Amino acid sequence: MISGYNISSKQRNSLFGKVDMVAMFLYIAIVLIGLVTITSASYDPESDNFFSLSHNYMKQALWIGISAVVVVVVLLLDRRLFHMFAIPSYVVGVGLLIAALLFGREVNGAKAWFEFGGFRVQPVEFAKIATALMMARVMSDYSFNIKRPIDLIKVGAVIMLPFSIIVLQNDTGSGLVLGAFIFVFFREGLSKYIYFPVIYTAFLFIVALIFEPVVIFTVLLLLFAGYSYLKHGAFIGHLRFVLIILLASILLAAFTSMSGYMALMISSLLAIVVLLFFVFKTHTLSLLWPIVLFVYAMIFVPTSDYLFTKLEPHQQNRIRIFVGMVEDTQDMGYNVYQSKIAIGSGGLVGKGYLEGTQTRFNFVPEKHTDFIFCVMGEEWGFIGCFVVVALYIALILRLMRMGERIKEPFGRVYCYSVAAMLLLHVIVNIGMTIGLMPVMGIPLPLMSYGGSSLLAFSLLIMIAVRLDASTSDNDMSMGV
Amino acid sequence: MNNRGRLYYNILRTIVVAVGVVLLSRLMWLQFNAEEYRERARAHSIESVVEFPMRGEVLDRNGEYIVKSRSCYDVMIVYNDLPKEGFDTTRLISLLDVTPEKFEKSLREARQSPRASILVAGYLSQDNKLRLDEMNITGITTRYRTAREYPRKVGGNLLGYVSEVSKEQVDKLHNYVAGEYIGTNGLESAYEDLLRGKKGVKYYSIDVHRAIVGPYNEGKDDIQPERGLQLISTIDVRLQEFAEELMEGMIGSVVAIEPSTGEILVMVSSPSYNPDLLVGRQRGNNYMDLLHDQRNPQFNRSVKAKYPPGSTFKLVQGLIAMQEGVLTPNMRYSCNMGYKYGGRIMKCHAHASPLDLRDAVAQSCNAYFCQVFKDMITNPKYGSVKEGVRVWNDYVYSFGFGRQLGTDLYGEGAGNVPTPEDYDKRYNGRWNYGTVLSCSIGQGEMGCTPLQMANLAAIIANRGYYYTPHLVKGIEGRDSIDARFYERHYTMVDSIHYVPIVEGMWRSVNVSGTSRTAYLPGWDVCGKTGTAENNKKYADHSTFLSFAPKDNPKIAISVYVEHGGFGSAIAVPIASLIEEMYLTGKVERPQLVERVKNAKPNYRLYDEKQRKYDAQRNK
Repeated sequence: MISGYNISSKQRNSLFGKVDMVAMFLYIAIVLIGLVTITSASYDPESDNFFSLSHNYMKQALWIGISAVVVVVVLLLDRRLFHMFAIPSYVVGVGLLIAALLFGREVNGAKAWFEFGGFRVQPVEFAKIATALMMARVMSDYSFNIKRPIDLIKVGAVIMLPFSIIVLQNDTGSGLVLGAFIFVFFREGLSKYIYFPVIYTAFLFIVALIFEPVVIFTVLLLLFAGYSYLKHGAFIGHLRFVLIILLASILLAAFTSMSGYMALMISSLLAIVVLLFFVFKTHTLSLLWPIVLFVYAMIFVPTSDYLFTKLEPHQQNRIRIFVGMVEDTQDMGYNVYQSKIAIGSGGLVGKGYLEGTQTRFNFVPEKHTDFIFCVMGEEWGFIGCFVVVALYIALILRLMRMGERIKEPFGRVYCYSVAAMLLLHVIVNIGMTIGLMPVMGIPLPLMSYGGSSLLAFSLLIMIAVRLDASTSDNDMSMGV
Repeated sequence: MNNRGRLYYNILRTIVVAVGVVLLSRLMWLQFNAEEYRERARAHSIESVVEFPMRGEVLDRNGEYIVKSRSCYDVMIVYNDLPKEGFDTTRLISLLDVTPEKFEKSLREARQSPRASILVAGYLSQDNKLRLDEMNITGITTRYRTAREYPRKVGGNLLGYVSEVSKEQVDKLHNYVAGEYIGTNGLESAYEDLLRGKKGVKYYSIDVHRAIVGPYNEGKDDIQPERGLQLISTIDVRLQEFAEELMEGMIGSVVAIEPSTGEILVMVSSPSYNPDLLVGRQRGNNYMDLLHDQRNPQFNRSVKAKYPPGSTFKLVQGLIAMQEGVLTPNMRYSCNMGYKYGGRIMKCHAHASPLDLRDAVAQSCNAYFCQVFKDMITNPKYGSVKEGVRVWNDYVYSFGFGRQLGTDLYGEGAGNVPTPEDYDKRYNGRWNYGTVLSCSIGQGEMGCTPLQMANLAAIIANRGYYYTPHLVKGIEGRDSIDARFYERHYTMVDSIHYVPIVEGMWRSVNVSGTSRTAYLPGWDVCGKTGTAENNKKYADHSTFLSFAPKDNPKIAISVYVEHGGFGSAIAVPIASLIEEMYLTGKVERPQLVERVKNAKPNYRLYDEKQRKYDAQRNK
């Protein structure tokens, strides 16, 4: 793998000597920055006891202490244990999800919580670890080949089981995190015939919400004509073909009472029939691809419009606001509007620690949990945001590098899973605070207030660190 | 790692870095536009609370308070902030002194807009405000205001009142906010700009629930309210009170002016009302009562009414005729109970005949002044009666009639002086001196405000000039008032011609004539009565125009009592008593006061109007 990264086994003789110090540093830095930011978000100048445990920042400090203990324990465990525990932990994780669904407590509409005394725990956080371990276990199996349908179904089932329970809990946002595994599949060589349609579908879905169908299909038509030209040349011929379709649809729309969209659909269908005839006659099978994708779009765009109306109203609204269809500053868009003001008003260097009016006076909701990044943006400005984003990106890249360094697939798949989940959390969470993503109740890993999230991500990352630390262990042959 | 793995690794690394770049670009786009977002953050995190200043007070010419400002408080409720567990409503209601029904109504209103400050009660006294503060109910706040207070309770329609600005006013006037007070009518309105002071603003940081978190920027941007300026009025409030007392039960007006300055000493429009009625909780009801009163107590007759001046106007006719050379003081005209012209007769009362100008003034001979006026307008040098009337018009205007005098009050009436054009229109161009003749004795189309008549008294007292009458002589922090009040206005009649007129007025009081009741030993009072006919069904208007003393006059006065009968009957004693009070500081003719107070003019006209109006309203 990456050359020039050979640390001699002498330096790695003790366990902690083998631990990846860069990852540890990044982890600790993010956690501490999180604590400082939470302190600002929940600081109460009128409280006489700064260290009272009733403050959120003191609770978080307590959780950091607990996490530290867990981190040490994890680092001391034998790495084989993770391999062994993969299946049991997956069973327990799924069990907890079901238990939460049946007996849990409902918070913000999602029945996804357990409550013990003053503390609330969200089992989905631990289900993430269990799923990552399980995924690593399944995919590191000797006979596993992601290109084989049966194996694909296997990993699909591993994801779909917890995913469907989470969706039933009405916590779709958390469920989407499991979608991060496509990142891992890609690394493991997933066929493009699988991931390309997924990406294509997602692309169509968003585009269908923003643009008129006529526009979409015209653009698609041009795109595919362009693709075909690159593959086969004959520019004029392709252009003429597209122009004929467009002209035909314009004429149709002009001389009948049908809409431009319908006219385009009908003329396109006719063109496709002609094309198919041409394809089979001349055996230019490569032309089949754009035709299939176009037909898929013809089916999918109206369907997605229909499916969209089947979503919960609040989800519809979030998506509408996200794609910019509604400029809403009061109801659904309020959070994002205020959050953007908070971050924007921070400027280059911020308003100073404990000086953010947006966050201090509660204009930004959930400022210590999901919107913690706003406090950072308002009080530390672009400099603070830059540092935080850079730390996350560095940690993700580091985890991927660790994954590549581990020679056996179990570790690699696991590290990539952690990196992928981190990446998705960062994209969705930071993206939502700056108006790039719809609002979903997903915390910023390691920074947002919340014990279960902190503990779960600590575990996730530390297991990766522990697996990486074993790279130079002698007893690597386990399971081989 | 195989090559394929390395390719995937690199692609994924690129994606991760790309994500970072996208996030950071978006952050730059937001944060490098910081000013825009800071503005938005400021806009909703700062609440400005207007602080009302103390309204300026008004003193009388002797330093006594006419209008005072007292502190009071508006009580506001923010429904969302009220304690959830409830509070002692009974005590609150008794403190606020509102009915439970009204309190319930305000609460309902507050519930509908739960974050807004809703006014529950106004005019809370300082003491009750402290008691309210002690109750310490969250969600109930007070706002400092000043309410008007009138120590002598006089001058209702002269002073005007303060009321909350209407929505239209807020839109039209800018600079005013909803809930602010504005002077309406009278002095309050005329000097609004000086009296209102400057509003202050306090800025507070507020949280998302609009609850105040603390002062914004440590209060550095706050603006302190500046209290309104104090005015020194020309009014003698003691005299005003006395005059209002005398006018009690009568409809009409008293205006007294200091001739040497144009300062208005007294301005009574009767019926008046106690200005305290238009302050406080009962304001609305009281206002409606005043509004429905057909005697129209809110109408300032002193400057707005249009009364026929009656015989007092003979003075003007005499002066004009002398200036135009058609009359000399020694000319005598005979009078046989009236003046005959064109088959008609202008009646006169019994007196010696023939009279010269002085005695004609003293005895108020109608025939004499009809002759004078006829000689004046039919003077061949003008060519026609029409031209004669036009010349006469210019003279009359120079006495301040037929136009606004330009006092400091708004809404001053102009009265009416008939012009040739008016007659042309009315009589289709076919009229002669006989048509106009009733003007000679201040009847017919002539109309004046009581202020114009008092100003005439001042002109004669000054022998030919006047200062624009005004109500304010001093403004806090300024050494002068508006320059227009220091300017002498001369009439078109030379000073010399005033001598016989003054002599006639003096005789009327001191020797023999219609104004004998006005005699004050040692004060050389001069006067001219007037009895203005109106509707034949009702008694004549009684009026009296006077000044004293004859030399270096200190007071010029006009009294006008609607349907008061002969000038000498009511107007003379009222004017005389006011002069006595002003000149000597006391009243030593209690029987005269009694006479005035017992005089009950018959106001059938108004009573009938009121009856009809009430019947209409009840329907």
